Amino acid sequence: MNWTWFHRLASPPHVYRFARRWTPWFGGGAALCMLVALYGGLVLAPEDYQQKDAFRMVYVHAPTAWLSMMVYTTMAVAAAVGLIWRMKVAHAAAAACAPVGAWFTVAALGTGMLWGKPMWGAYWVWDPRLTAELVLLFLYFGYMGLRAGIEDPGKADKASAVLAIVGVINIPIIKYSVEWWNSLHQTPTVMKMGKPTMDTAMLWPLLLMFLAFALYFATVLLIRLRAELLRRERNASWVREVLS
Amino acid sequence: MSEFLSMSGYGKYLWPAFALGFGIIVLNFIMAVNSLARAKSEAKRRLEMSS
Repeated sequence: MNWTWFHRLASPPHVYRFARRWTPWFGGGAALCMLVALYGGLVLAPEDYQQKDAFRMVYVHAPTAWLSMMVYTTMAVAAAVGLIWRMKVAHAAAAACAPVGAWFTVAALGTGMLWGKPMWGAYWVWDPRLTAELVLLFLYFGYMGLRAGIEDPGKADKASAVLAIVGVINIPIIKYSVEWWNSLHQTPTVMKMGKPTMDTAMLWPLLLMFLAFALYFATVLLIRLRAELLRRERNASWVREVLS
Repeated sequence: MSEFLSMSGYGKYLWPAFALGFGIIVLNFIMAVNSLARAKSEAKRRLEMSS
């Protein structure tokens, strides 16, 4: 098997140029998908027979919640790659993931609270899903705090990578909390074994919104990764080349 | 239009949720772009000092 592509990922100038080239494409795709999904979700999709128009909250809550977990998983995988193969670019990618993931967790919790009030009668309940999502936010804060608290970048990379890898245990807890314990939160309707239980007219805008958020994450990650690489490699000759 | 904004009475929860979600999307993008701009100007300043 040819591993050249993997080795090239370890090269900061290669990754920097790749990020610069692809950012506008991912960003443009994200904006386009988001606009179409918003129109589909807010205008075209019929109202739910139980929740009425309140169900439309799913078009912002589900993608942010899904992304809060996906970003953490990406961060943990990047941290593990950095730790195992001593790949600086992987550590930079993990560091770039953290603030994006933390913001998405805030969005997931905030939109969930606004959905919870009319459905459950309270903005917050100590439900397993909500509590595990709050723990995820604290893990992001812990990761960023640990990085900021250690001056030596090499030591900061290693310590924060261990925290990211250990914290990944929280992801299946969030995912399956609604099945393992009694929960006010609804069980999965899209990401489940077998056919989704959502009507197609409601489902396609949601799937498109998932794609839009994934493309958006790629966009912001690549921008933050470029910034991280420039800070780490500021004395390297390739920085002069890319900035001239 | 007012019917659309009302969202069968759930508008007061729905629109703030969309504002929060998409507000964070815009904020996150601006913060990332600012972070890159700062890193570029720091790197340029360092290069100028060394040359």
